Amino acid sequence: MPAALDAIITELHESDRQERIELLLDFAKNLPPLPPELEARKDAEHRVEECQSPVYLFVEMIGDRVALYGDAPAEAPTVRGFVSLLLEGLNGASAEDVLKVPSDLVDRSGLTEVLGMLRVRGLSGMLRRIKRDVTRVAFASHGSTP
Amino acid sequence: MGEGYARPEVLVSTQWVLDHLDDPKVRIVESDEDLLLYDLGHVPGAVRIDWQGDLQDQVLRDYIDAEKFAELCRRNGIAEDTTVVFYGDKSNWWACYAFWAFTLFGHKNLKVMNGGRKLWIDEGRPISRETPRYPATTYQVAGGDEPAIRAFRDDVLDHIRAKKPLIDVRSPKEFTGEMLHMEDYPQEGSLRGGHIPGARSIPWSRAVNDDGTFKSAAELKALYEGEAGLKPGDDVVAYCRIGERSSLAWFALTFLLGYPRVRNYDGSWTEWGNLVRVPIERGAGA
Repeated sequence: MPAALDAIITELHESDRQERIELLLDFAKNLPPLPPELEARKDAEHRVEECQSPVYLFVEMIGDRVALYGDAPAEAPTVRGFVSLLLEGLNGASAEDVLKVPSDLVDRSGLTEVLGMLRVRGLSGMLRRIKRDVTRVAFASHGSTP
Repeated sequence: MGEGYARPEVLVSTQWVLDHLDDPKVRIVESDEDLLLYDLGHVPGAVRIDWQGDLQDQVLRDYIDAEKFAELCRRNGIAEDTTVVFYGDKSNWWACYAFWAFTLFGHKNLKVMNGGRKLWIDEGRPISRETPRYPATTYQVAGGDEPAIRAFRDDVLDHIRAKKPLIDVRSPKEFTGEMLHMEDYPQEGSLRGGHIPGARSIPWSRAVNDDGTFKSAAELKALYEGEAGLKPGDDVVAYCRIGERSSLAWFALTFLLGYPRVRNYDGSWTEWGNLVRVPIERGAGA
């Protein structure tokens, strides 16, 4: 997986319960605002259906690098933190590296132990969504169809 | 607050909570869907009790046992006679769940802060990030209340054979069977969609106002009696997907409208929708 994401997951994994909560809260606070042109495109197409809070993800390719943007409400710090974590860990990676991210990422981070099984399902949905969109956008930018 | 409620003392205002922040006989408890909200800032002096990590057994599909509950209370500085005031996100949905779980173990003196976390913050009341520590108590579980407020699947089968009323508080699409969970939640957990035969659909969120406070007694009567056809004195079973949203309906029916016997079927749709050969109804229902 991309080195930046690997470093975040390793740090979470090596932290204790309260440190994991604090890290996720820091990510939630540091989620950059959506660019204005994307703010206007927060529609059903860009909403992550697996998430109970309104979470929006946008995937673009800049050259051969993935550019991710996302938004989640401040009242849902867990999902907001996870969006922020994925953005920081995956931005600038190649499409191939994003697709290679293990789907048990949430378990690997140790967040399942903190949040419990019932809460992490929506988080895994976000990663699935990013991979799906990266596949679609990366293929489109290469001028072929999947 | 509380005009016309059957037991208005179970609901307290945000002002009441502010006035009792230093009251040693009162413990404020935050219970949220999103675990991180407490760390983001909470009512000063409030402790966090998590529905999943604290109240549920991590192996059995059940609540913690009496001894673990006693330990939970002891370490949070809750004594047998402490007044426990719950509040949380999502219009106190999880606060009601914790209230119901505390009732299972026979704790008296339970209250809900009307409006929950959102109203407290919207009113600009003080927020703290400090996790308080309280002297441990010697809590002993009173117990004994479970049969009165908790229904198991066999109780529900008896209940439908006796043609007694059931309230389904899930969203309309879960009730008809189009979805297995609320829209935008992961659609998993049951093999069949639909509702328990004869259940009436009153989505939980209709019991609360936009600011998170409960609707008035007259509005609740119009909902549960006018629309769902309940009659005062009815023996009622409420359910949802895992018994959390129905805790709020249980709370409203029991304390705000004064129904004498309301049980929460916490197995709810994740159990019923997976049971072999139990009757299921699909579509809009009665």
